[in-house]
Amino acid sequence: MSSKPNLDTTAPFEHPLYKTLEKLPGLSLGTASIDDLLAWGLTNSLWVFPMATSCCGIELMASAASRVDLDRMGTIVRATPRQADVMVVAGTITVKMAPRVLKLWEQMPEPKWCIAMGSCAISGDFYRNLYSVIPGIDTVIPVDVYVPGCPPNPEALMHGLLRLQEKVHAARRGVKVVRDPNPELMAITKPSIPRLCDAERTEELTRAQADDAMRVTEEQTSEPLEVAYAPSTPLPPVFAPDFAGLLRELGVDASSTEGPPIVPLARHYELARRLKDLGYRQYVSVVASHWPAGLGRKGKDDTEPEHYEIAYILRTVGRGSRVATWVVRAAIGEPVPTLFPLFAGADWQEREQYDLVGVRFAGHPDLRRLMMAENYVGHPLRRDFPSDAPAAPWR
Amino acid sequence: MSVVVTALVTSLSILTAILTVTAWAIWFERKFVARMQSRLGPTMVGPSGLLQPLADLVKLLQKEDIVPEAADRRLFDLAPKLAALCALGAAAVVPFSASIVGAKIDLGVLYLLAIGAVTVLPVFMAGWASNNKFALLGGMRALAQSLSYEVPLVLSAMVPVILGGSMDVSKIVESQIATQWFIIGPVWLGLPAFCLFMLAMLAESNRIPFDIPEAESELVSGVTTEYTGMKFALFYLGEYVHTFVASAAASALFLGGWDGPFAPGMHWMVLKTFALFGFVYWVRWSLLRFRSDQLMRICWYWLVPVSVALLLGAGAWVVL
Repeated sequence: MSSKPNLDTTAPFEHPLYKTLEKLPGLSLGTASIDDLLAWGLTNSLWVFPMATSCCGIELMASAASRVDLDRMGTIVRATPRQADVMVVAGTITVKMAPRVLKLWEQMPEPKWCIAMGSCAISGDFYRNLYSVIPGIDTVIPVDVYVPGCPPNPEALMHGLLRLQEKVHAARRGVKVVRDPNPELMAITKPSIPRLCDAERTEELTRAQADDAMRVTEEQTSEPLEVAYAPSTPLPPVFAPDFAGLLRELGVDASSTEGPPIVPLARHYELARRLKDLGYRQYVSVVASHWPAGLGRKGKDDTEPEHYEIAYILRTVGRGSRVATWVVRAAIGEPVPTLFPLFAGADWQEREQYDLVGVRFAGHPDLRRLMMAENYVGHPLRRDFPSDAPAAPWR
Repeated sequence: MSVVVTALVTSLSILTAILTVTAWAIWFERKFVARMQSRLGPTMVGPSGLLQPLADLVKLLQKEDIVPEAADRRLFDLAPKLAALCALGAAAVVPFSASIVGAKIDLGVLYLLAIGAVTVLPVFMAGWASNNKFALLGGMRALAQSLSYEVPLVLSAMVPVILGGSMDVSKIVESQIATQWFIIGPVWLGLPAFCLFMLAMLAESNRIPFDIPEAESELVSGVTTEYTGMKFALFYLGEYVHTFVASAAASALFLGGWDGPFAPGMHWMVLKTFALFGFVYWVRWSLLRFRSDQLMRICWYWLVPVSVALLLGAGAWVVL
């Protein structure tokens, strides 16, 4: 996938025998017709690799179904990139997905083409400045045809494939197929990193992307997990979970009217264990939020330092379900005891909060990133995270 | 000398015919399926899309030939050739009429079944050599499935052998012409044996509902996951030829081969073969896929005992 072949196009290569062979009667006619045959084969059997990540994928499926029916022009969908000719990138490509897309693209055999289907694949559209979305697939792989729309309808995709056929034929005939970009438009829609066709695109960036795509992502970062779950006592004969009573017993101030009670970090695990014994068996969620300095529950408050608030929700199971909600406060970097030994469901939920907000859960057996790419820098849902943060080498 | 020339001409013409027929069978399948799904199928490449297989072939010839770095190169190259070879080799003993047959050998049925069984070897070879987890899983599934379904296939093919009193496919057809087609008589054993044969044949050629070796929703593309261009085309070809030859064998063993009124024998044979071939596609695009364990249970709990019973029944009928 060399985006800019290092060839001097002004002086085309000429074989010494070329002039002689050109004079042979019928030879050029013969080679031209063979060339036409080859191009005819290529264009009439464009097998699609569906790189479908979102709603455009639905339209891609619809184009293979009745009414539009891509099979009319010999286009079928193959499940493996090894047997595909056209990669149709249909949908938003995230920073985590981009290396995989590049890897799949490089697994496709030449000659191959790419169609960017829909505004997300073309430019990122309204996710363009989001911390996790790449600004257009043409910053990663060379795109031949852009099919605009949100999502484009099946007819538009078919039109894109017909235009691709024209392009392949023209390229075979030696007609130079280059885009004629409107410089003004190109300046407005300039992505955060250069496209493959841009002049300022560097080889280093291409190499960095290729390296990232080849990175081993399935390596085990921690020892395999062996955790003894805290045994649950059987439910009491009279089932009456008393959350308020328990809070009183543990000495937590539950009088605040501005939200759920704030539990000291030291009593947090104890509270969860007692609640589990009381019948709160379902771990619904943990939601962490980041509060910058000078901002508290009552609004602007100069006495408030920067901190996290982590809200827990537990539920009893069965009819007449009760909910227990409480909050713990933690300073930045202060470890919060994990609830994993009590509730296995805490595993991924706590990983998510660590990934997006940055809370350190002490005792969690496998605290890795969950949503963002493994080599992502920063925690994007913190208030101080810049909204257009770069995530090299993809955005 | 003239024997050699005759044999050469016959076998070459059968080979060409089968390859051509297979190429256009792919077109036929695509049109057939499209109609089932209220689509049109190929229409733009040639009249009614008739040149579609040719365009696919020209395209596949031009594709880059990728061999994965970690693959076992020699096996990887050998497998697709062997797959096409085995499938075509099986066509040698199928009689298309009293005179059109590649090789008249006394053990024709045995040869047919043996070659059919060997086709699993290149499939597993491809799965192993690709060094790809999906390909390997596909290869293992194909191996387990083909070895299991080999048993009911062989046993049900033995029923016409016993009824016809010969292992030569042509002789079996002749005995059907002399009495009646084995699917209707002379005993009621023919029809169940035919159904068993078709079921086991579907499983042997990895067709839906028995296509777990390439289950696209789980295994990307099964054993062909790593194959590009012409190597993939050879696999594809082998698969279709296998189905075609198996359909031809079924019509020779059970449906009276070239027997039929009004028209010369070969027309009838081709008609019957295509009817069965179409049936395979009909099943393929109508049904879902079995799970591995269901597949094995069906084979060992139902098909094998029934086929053993049919074999014993046929033997008893002939003896008594």
